[in-house]
Amino acid sequence: MSKFKTSRRGLLKGSASIAALAGTAAFFGPWRHTHVYAQGQKKPVKIGFTCDASGQYGNSGQDDLRGARLAIDEFNAKGGVLGRKIEWITADTETTPATGSRVAERFITREDCGFLIGAVHSGVANAITQVAAKYGTIYLNTNSSAPSEAGENCSRVKFVWDGNGTNFAKATVKNAVQSVGKNWLLLTNDYVWGHTTSNATKALVESNGGKVVDNLLVPQNTRDFTAYLLKVQQSKPDVVATAIGGDDIKALRTQVAQLKLEGKPAWINNQQDWPDIWGAPESLFGVFGTTWYHKLQLPGVEQFLKRWQASYKDGPIPVPGNVSYNGYMATKELLRAIERAGSTNNIAVIKQLEGLKVSATDRMQHYDAFMDPVTHQMQQTIYLARRNPKPADNSDYYEIVSWSEPKSVIDDAAAAKCKLVAYDQVPTFEL
Amino acid sequence: MFFDLLPHLLNGLTLGLLFALVALGFMLIVGLMEQINLAHGSLFALGAYFALVIVGGENSFGHLLGPAWHSIPLGLRYTTALVVAPIAVAVVGMGVELLMRRTYGKDPLFGLLLTFGAAMVLEEAIRGLWGTRDYVLQTPSAVSGGFIFQDLIWSTYRFYAAGIAAAAIGLVWLLIEKTPYGAVIKAGAHDNEMVRALGINLSRLRLFVFAFGTLLAAIAGIILAPIWGIRPHMGVDAVVPAFLVIVLGGIGSFWGAVIAALLCGMLVGLAGAYASEWSLLSIYILLILVTTVRARGLFGKKSLLEA
Amino acid sequence: MLPSPHASPRLVTPTIAIVLMLLVTVPFWIERIGLYPYIGVEILIWSIYALGFNLVLGYTGLPSFGHGAYFGVGAYAFGLAQFNLAPNLWLCLLAAVVAAALAGAFVSLFVSHRRGIYFALMTIAFGQVFWFISIKTHSVTGGEDGLLKIARLPVELGVAKFDLVSNLTFYYFVLASFALVLIGLWRLVNSPYGRVLQAIRQNETRVTFLGYSVWWLKASVFTLSAAISGFAGALFAMAQGSAFPDVMSLHHSGYIVMMTLVGGGLVSFWGPVLGVFAFLLTRDIIGAFTTAWMFWFGLFFVTMVLFKPEGLAGLIQDARAAISRRWPPAGAAVPVREPGE
Repeated sequence: MSKFKTSRRGLLKGSASIAALAGTAAFFGPWRHTHVYAQGQKKPVKIGFTCDASGQYGNSGQDDLRGARLAIDEFNAKGGVLGRKIEWITADTETTPATGSRVAERFITREDCGFLIGAVHSGVANAITQVAAKYGTIYLNTNSSAPSEAGENCSRVKFVWDGNGTNFAKATVKNAVQSVGKNWLLLTNDYVWGHTTSNATKALVESNGGKVVDNLLVPQNTRDFTAYLLKVQQSKPDVVATAIGGDDIKALRTQVAQLKLEGKPAWINNQQDWPDIWGAPESLFGVFGTTWYHKLQLPGVEQFLKRWQASYKDGPIPVPGNVSYNGYMATKELLRAIERAGSTNNIAVIKQLEGLKVSATDRMQHYDAFMDPVTHQMQQTIYLARRNPKPADNSDYYEIVSWSEPKSVIDDAAAAKCKLVAYDQVPTFEL
Repeated sequence: MFFDLLPHLLNGLTLGLLFALVALGFMLIVGLMEQINLAHGSLFALGAYFALVIVGGENSFGHLLGPAWHSIPLGLRYTTALVVAPIAVAVVGMGVELLMRRTYGKDPLFGLLLTFGAAMVLEEAIRGLWGTRDYVLQTPSAVSGGFIFQDLIWSTYRFYAAGIAAAAIGLVWLLIEKTPYGAVIKAGAHDNEMVRALGINLSRLRLFVFAFGTLLAAIAGIILAPIWGIRPHMGVDAVVPAFLVIVLGGIGSFWGAVIAALLCGMLVGLAGAYASEWSLLSIYILLILVTTVRARGLFGKKSLLEA
Repeated sequence: MLPSPHASPRLVTPTIAIVLMLLVTVPFWIERIGLYPYIGVEILIWSIYALGFNLVLGYTGLPSFGHGAYFGVGAYAFGLAQFNLAPNLWLCLLAAVVAAALAGAFVSLFVSHRRGIYFALMTIAFGQVFWFISIKTHSVTGGEDGLLKIARLPVELGVAKFDLVSNLTFYYFVLASFALVLIGLWRLVNSPYGRVLQAIRQNETRVTFLGYSVWWLKASVFTLSAAISGFAGALFAMAQGSAFPDVMSLHHSGYIVMMTLVGGGLVSFWGPVLGVFAFLLTRDIIGAFTTAWMFWFGLFFVTMVLFKPEGLAGLIQDARAAISRRWPPAGAAVPVREPGE
């Protein structure tokens, strides 16, 4: 606001600031990585993990990361992928889309990551997808269960590895209408995921001869569910289906469990993430969905559990659940796809992933799984569980009630909404 | 039809009392020290976490107290937590007040910003110490579970919490209005020069008031934790209702804030029943409507904060 | 902050010229110091936002804790204009500015007669209302999924067309916008209007006695500030390729207050820009090493508020004053303590 006395001083100041800035940055040390490789050693493959470490999904984001890291460690122990070591880097996406964009840009342009992995919040996943699509970088959406991820927000470079709200609704509804009752009350979180899931539930209920007596909207950040619980008791439905997520379902869970309201009516929840439940098994209520459980009586599960505990026994969550499972599986299949493609060329890897078929044994699930090439969502076995009345040990929270074949729970509406760009419109590169 | 409405009215009332409890500490500091304490939410959270440690939540540093402590019945541990944790938080609160001293006399904006910064630091410290995961605060069976009334199941704990809230409000009012200490505190707010002239140590007074306000925030945190859950960012659940209640009720009026809290509770409760998608937004709309008509809120008095 | 009465500030001061020249060279060395072009884009966009915000906070003394709403409105308006009106860069930018200005004007109706804490709390309430609306009207805004596939529309100047898809070209576009806003605001704050705003900050009642309509002044500066924030929001929508409700949250509105204060917005025109640089660079550099960077920045913020509320700009001013005392400029008999910058 005041004038400079001399422009020379200004110039000196200007150059001094450049020097200071460069010097400070140098002090912090983030130089461009220039590795000199010994003869015969190949350049490593770098993966960026866009995982939340804070905010609403910080807990899940870190569990996701742990699962993915396990897959990388396993591959590196066998010599890496295509004979190249796998390096990884992570930064906190803070459950915030703007941070997701920045982290994605940083990973791609500064850190030379060829692949991005990690998502829980659909907004963050979408922000990252916009960036990844710009550069052609493959992005694995490991844990966002929004149906829109495989629907209107699908992308040629993005692959979805979690079951979404519609899959879980399909797994539960038909059976429940027939075996429990026809009068349903819906609790819907008032945002996109909630509405999409509840719409799917409603359509299924009605097509199976049931009736939706009421649909109560729950604004995001609702902490107090007493009004809803009173209405539920007043309406006396046979089934209450919740499309509630985030912190809200945690509050609802606690309050329902306190009232011991879980017996009648029957509660059907959507997917429950293992990190959200760890440490609070008594708050589990009703029937809920998951993509995997560590006590499934299937080949490979025990060994996987042992491998997990070798690395993470003393971590915050010493037992893997659906979130870490999805992270592990996605990373593993990506690395395998690279191996099959024989290169890191993104189009080649995309094509490998689009045709992906994984056997039940490899998936540690009951049915074979496959990637839907139109929507880029992994179609997998969907499990329904409830709180285990007779746990075998203090990590045995779930009692698995049923498992559904991927084809029977497929999200039919997604294919119509998803429009993938042509291969030649995706920038290509090779690490 | 009325019998359908009655449970929701009752729910609104209890919710209002809970809002009042949450706002109590914030209100005291605003009313008596004319400082907005944005760290209220983080101190609310800290109270819950300290209680978690004392009660002995899993993986929460509770093991530091030793197995002998954990064998004591839950009721005793819980009561101890209810007494000790707020005191510990009050100590932290005193630390914040000491920091705030430098901002007295300057633009009140600095006090606001300082508490905002303190809130962030505290929240990050909580996240660093206890991690990002959720915790559950166990409550003694005497106040847990449900009871049947009018053919509906109600949460025992909720009524216990509302009872504590009512008791806290009553006790604080008694302290401020009917005891000599209260008189000194109020005098300190209205005319601190005179108070100093009378030989009362004003800094100690302010320290005490701030400590008391944060103590109440911690108690609110402990009481609300079993209903609303414990996670690092839980403070926002407290700060938002607190300031809404204060502005709606009017700064400087104790019962104004209490009435505003009850009003908010009723609104959220009834909206939750009949227009659920607006239940949270309704209090913001109420706030905007009221302050447009009555600039100082329902019962506000002129205060330094308007300067 | 008031310039001396006989000073007639030039349109472009040497500081402005040097900073802009420096910023022009940034893409050439940004990767050498370990950063990347996108962060340059982000810093400039937030600088525009912060400069607009500081009109309200630093100059008029009104603590707005809900400014994220206008940034967000601008972002959404840009995207919606692109999809529903026409994919023309200038039209969409205009739509963003107009939408944000309208939002700001609407809110100013409710807050212009307040100040201090009441003002702050009302802006928080409105910020929450806007956030809520953006989540609720998800058929329009996309809700928490965001408004996606917002394209960086090309700059068409009749004779030439510049594609903004690459971060490099986009950076220059944002830089040009930043330069415009910078010079425009510099002119504004040094005009009579700007001086009255500062007078309001010092003593509102006295300004009323002088015959000004304080209400109109506060409403107009709030609206203008919202418009600039909306402009920044539109640029950010292009940067991200999408728009999300999160920027309207209380947290994010708090960030801009923090950045502006730490930088020294209360005493300096450049304060907000310094604050944005400090915050975003710290976040990126320290955030790469630890997820607890916010803790350290929070401590730094608290320290600043306690010991140097004049912020980074204040520190620089002190340093310059110290240098000026030590080495008086040639021709001056007595070192003049400049009234501040």
